Amino acid sequence: MTTLQQKNPAQARPPEPAVNGIPAKPRPSKMRRKEARFFWLFISPWIFGFVVFLLGPMLASVYLSFTDWDSFTDPTWVGFGNYVKLITEDTVFHKALWNTLYFAFFSVPLGMGIALWLAALLNKKMKARKIFRTLVYLPHLVPIVAVALIFQMILAPDAGPLNRILAVFGVDGPAWLFDSEWVKPAIILLSLWQAGGATVLLLAGMKGIPQEFYEAAEIDGASSLRQFWSITFPQLTPIIFFNLIMGIIGAFQVFAQVYILTQGGPDNASQMLVPLLFTEAFRNYHMGYASAISWLLFLMVMALTILAFSTSRKWVFYETEVKN
Amino acid sequence: MAELKVYQSTAFTYAGLMVASAVFFAPLVFVVSIALSSDQTVGTGAFSLFPTEFRWENFVRIFQTQQPVGNFVVNSVIISVLSAVGQVFSSALVGYAFARLRAKGKNITFMIMLATMMIPAQITMIPQFILFKELGWINTFLPLIIPNFFGNAYNIFLIRQFVSRLPVEMDEAAMVDGLGYFGIFRRIVLPMMMPVLIAIAIFTLTWTWGDFMGPLIYLNEDTKMPLALGVQLLTSTSQELQTPPWNLVMVGTVFLSLPMIIIYYFGQKYMYEMNISTGSAGVK
Repeated sequence: MTTLQQKNPAQARPPEPAVNGIPAKPRPSKMRRKEARFFWLFISPWIFGFVVFLLGPMLASVYLSFTDWDSFTDPTWVGFGNYVKLITEDTVFHKALWNTLYFAFFSVPLGMGIALWLAALLNKKMKARKIFRTLVYLPHLVPIVAVALIFQMILAPDAGPLNRILAVFGVDGPAWLFDSEWVKPAIILLSLWQAGGATVLLLAGMKGIPQEFYEAAEIDGASSLRQFWSITFPQLTPIIFFNLIMGIIGAFQVFAQVYILTQGGPDNASQMLVPLLFTEAFRNYHMGYASAISWLLFLMVMALTILAFSTSRKWVFYETEVKN
Repeated sequence: MAELKVYQSTAFTYAGLMVASAVFFAPLVFVVSIALSSDQTVGTGAFSLFPTEFRWENFVRIFQTQQPVGNFVVNSVIISVLSAVGQVFSSALVGYAFARLRAKGKNITFMIMLATMMIPAQITMIPQFILFKELGWINTFLPLIIPNFFGNAYNIFLIRQFVSRLPVEMDEAAMVDGLGYFGIFRRIVLPMMMPVLIAIAIFTLTWTWGDFMGPLIYLNEDTKMPLALGVQLLTSTSQELQTPPWNLVMVGTVFLSLPMIIIYYFGQKYMYEMNISTGSAGVK
């Protein structure tokens, strides 16, 4: 190794090529310039994609959001008109925003709670553990379109299996997707069916918790519930935080289930931001207006992410804080 | 020392898991039961949780409906396989460069790439549609496939993390032997990347296979639709308030779900490892 490096100093590398750890050379050698040329050559597909499919469209989207455009005639500049209309006048948008927040507020924490509870159970030593793990995880593998169709059948008001089961217990089940009171809980229910997907990451996190913590707690006579809240949960908070952020982003982008099952109905009771955006853009050809919706969506997701990050110091536990 | 409490399973553990598994699994049992039931049963709506009829012919009849289900399946395979191929090759090349090659401006480029992960797809959706419309790509598979040949920040990041952990000695030896950067990539690094490439292929396959919005925007002819878009056409009926042919719809959902379950079964080891490494990379 050393001889090789002496022969060819330009190739000497730090053992782990970190983003920041590369020392700057005073004068780039021919070899280094060649290496750099290859770097740009190799990443050129991404750069092309970035400019053509992301940066360009993003700038276009900012511009479009300030215009009135049907995609056939020339766009008309309307300034903040679209944003003003969305924020102050458009009651359908307000409803969609409220419904999306409602959906995120219930589906994300409930889903995480279920996943955490399942992971805590699956972490125990027991018979048929693998079977349980698979059964809980399977729904996560079903594509969302299939989930929507399955629940369309399950939630059917009269013949649907769920209402038949409820009838056995003497409960007169609601019309679910056709009832403006129950349509949002129905869509939340549908998302909770896939909550088992998060157990994989949580289980891996649980495996990484040092045994000594539990041994010490045992000696102190802590109950298993106490151990969960004082050891397992704090140790898992980085993963829970990661799931929270991804969950918020995902919840704001809900589309297929609403589009297939209710088209936002009845009476916009299940209208959400992305289905509304889609309808405005590709059904009503309000391209400028829809672009403005997309930016408001982005701002809201950003705001919630920043909010989550700002609270994270209070509850997310990082290993390094203990060592220091 | 006796088993720690945290690992001890009690009657409650079993009871809890049995209830949870039943709730999670019941809908899937229902799907199979309905997929195998006769049209009469569908008409009366008298489904049972467990299959009582075994009309396997439903799995053939689905191809004889008014909807071109055969086309749906073939379209799905074409779109998702080509997308996966594109993602694997482009992300491998870019990820390798970010992990191993040094250049001025690399760090800032990498940071920009990571930042792009925060931009929701909805922002670029409309201008992209206009772009593909100008190119005359509407109602073709191209808008769904071609962007995958330019990498994706998440996959590139995954590959970079993976390659950074591989030993560099082989690269250096190969360079002494006169192999260029492209040769090193193709002969040395690419074979070592296999686990992460398989994981990326699986992620892309599952994502494209299930994607609904992309095909909905770009495809308007029934014969060009992938299964995820086409399958919901099976619920359309000639008259309003008529019961959809639930048995065939459920066969459709089986076609849509089963490949994902099979892929997961064979690829879980790779996905699991990559999920863990990105999961922890995402939080630390």
